[in-house]
Amino acid sequence: MSLRTEKILRSLDRAYNGPICSVKDWDTKVIPQTIRAILKKYGLEKTCDLENPINCDDDLADQFFRAGWELALELGMLNVETERIIKITEEELIDTLKHKPKEITLGNGSDQVILKARKPEDPTPPLLAASLGIVVSEELYVPIVEGIVKYKKLVDVLHGPSLATVYGRKIRSGTPYETLMGGYEAELRREALWRAGRPGMANTGIAGAVTEYGHLGGASAIGGPGNVTMALCPVELKTNFAVFHRVMMAINNNMRIRAGGFSYIGGYAGPPEGAALANIAVDLLIATILDSDYTSSYVYDIQLLGNCGRKALWANSVAIQAVSRNTNLIRNKIVNETGGPCTDMFMYEAAIGLMNHCVSGASKTTQPRSAGGKLTDYLTPMEAWWCGEVFKSCAGMTRKQANEIAKKVLPKYEERLSNPPKGKSVLECFDLKEMRPSPEYHKLYLDIRKELIDLGMPLDKVYEEL
Amino acid sequence: MKEQILERLCNAIVECDVEQAAKVAQEALDAGIPAIEAIQNGAAKGLDIIGSKFNSGEAYLPELILAGDAMKAVFDVLSKALKEENADSSAQLGKVVIGTVSGDLHDIGKNIVAALLAVNGFEVYDLGINVEPKTFVQKAEEIGATIIAASTLLTTSMPYQQDIVQYLVDSGLRGKYYYVVGGGPVTADWTIKIKADGHGYTATDAVEVCKRLVRSGQTPGTFEPVILEYYQS
Repeated sequence: MSLRTEKILRSLDRAYNGPICSVKDWDTKVIPQTIRAILKKYGLEKTCDLENPINCDDDLADQFFRAGWELALELGMLNVETERIIKITEEELIDTLKHKPKEITLGNGSDQVILKARKPEDPTPPLLAASLGIVVSEELYVPIVEGIVKYKKLVDVLHGPSLATVYGRKIRSGTPYETLMGGYEAELRREALWRAGRPGMANTGIAGAVTEYGHLGGASAIGGPGNVTMALCPVELKTNFAVFHRVMMAINNNMRIRAGGFSYIGGYAGPPEGAALANIAVDLLIATILDSDYTSSYVYDIQLLGNCGRKALWANSVAIQAVSRNTNLIRNKIVNETGGPCTDMFMYEAAIGLMNHCVSGASKTTQPRSAGGKLTDYLTPMEAWWCGEVFKSCAGMTRKQANEIAKKVLPKYEERLSNPPKGKSVLECFDLKEMRPSPEYHKLYLDIRKELIDLGMPLDKVYEEL
Repeated sequence: MKEQILERLCNAIVECDVEQAAKVAQEALDAGIPAIEAIQNGAAKGLDIIGSKFNSGEAYLPELILAGDAMKAVFDVLSKALKEENADSSAQLGKVVIGTVSGDLHDIGKNIVAALLAVNGFEVYDLGINVEPKTFVQKAEEIGATIIAASTLLTTSMPYQQDIVQYLVDSGLRGKYYYVVGGGPVTADWTIKIKADGHGYTATDAVEVCKRLVRSGQTPGTFEPVILEYYQS
């Protein structure tokens, strides 16, 4: 038995024999009360600074890390089916951090990329996986993916859109339609990557797989250590058997494990400080309990249905910096834009959110989330390219520089966060034959790019240095 | 004396204290305060405060849920008196059966809507996650619901929202329940396409939609859906 299998089985065993706690008590009492107490103990209440949305205070980040460490050890994660807590010991957590690699290889052959742990203000460019779900029509899947992965300098890993249908049929979660879709999506991915001349690019599971059926349906086609599974835990600090199924599937297919758990401002974790704290804890817990190669957790604002407002920017900056400064954990951090394709809103949100993640020490992101991922076919390659350009170019910026830019750009979009423009669908603003944006979208790109360069964002860097 | 009891009832809800809420509700009855007045001038005021605090970012989901629990405790104590006062129907806006549809394990969005509905005067029956279409309808029949609310975050679970409408139609019950849909991928177009009665972009919108439906007095399934969605074109 491999060490990985041994660790996962240990966690699974604890899901059956750990301390009992109902989901209701966990959500409404244990989580909020413990987070409140730890924030108070460490003097972190009301530290959210909305005037400075990107944290520049190392001491604050370190204090959050110490508090997040205590939260992780105090709570563990609740398994929702058995209503038992999977707790970890401090020795196990220390052992996890000691043995996690500082870098891992994704993909194969000439399309291989190295995913590295990064520190705040790290000059090493992070990686970009695209896209973040978003449903597209079956007939558009291959050209959209081909376009998304067209430029090596901008996109490193294929996360992929989700299919609207499988052979014209509606896909229903947890049914044989979804199982069939898993294999079908893998086939379409292969075709698109081959067309783009990047056949060895890493895949992060089946994007349309919402249950283990879809993953199992496609896993065998995209297995191996160059590819990654995706296991997303329920909010807040919870796990379930669907997550364990995906992890076991990764073991069976010798894949990398990417696992995440989100923290919601306004949700069970409470204020931005509570969500930041929970996010630090979940990164530490997932790395230990699910033995992830890297984590994919981030803070989200339930009032704004995204994370590009000031509260979420601040919470993500603190949480990312806390873990980056104190561990070598590799982490994927996501930006949830609300504006759609071909809007200034999307471009501003992506620029500020990704700049924040980059300077705070994220290793990778999954983008774009055009129009909040809500609308079918509201995804073009252009958003992925823009995200790659921003995310990679910002490597090496200081947090202070980034914060100053954020303060100038936020007023351009923040009032629209609860009323975002949905933009245009792919066929309205992108030419999939020529693989180029419409003249209107291209002009918008050039205008906003220039505006951000004038504000100090080093957007030419991605083309000069990479 | 009466004002003090009503204020304490309001505070018990704001403090999410289930036991205290039940205790003060009993005190209100013992003091001869009409149940409907205890609700309207005491407990409901507390719910208003919690709801406002949530919308302004001063209170969070756990408080919403627990305040809803405290309100339920108040209703449990006062239900008999409300019936005697013939005021039970006016004290609450109606009963809502809510859940996340089949194949979907996401619950936070649904939980926020359920909690907000409860603090806005609806009696909420939360079926949880991964709920079969017929289970929504069976529960609605069992408890005499006014509204069925189905949530999903997954495009691949959206067909199950349509299945619920179809189940209502096939079982001859479409005119009996207002049917509202919500969740990440749910749009105005989808709501219209599946012939649901309402949809809200945010949780707060969902509550407003439910209120409008209940107050409309129209037969479910016979009118243009009530939709609150803010995407700019």
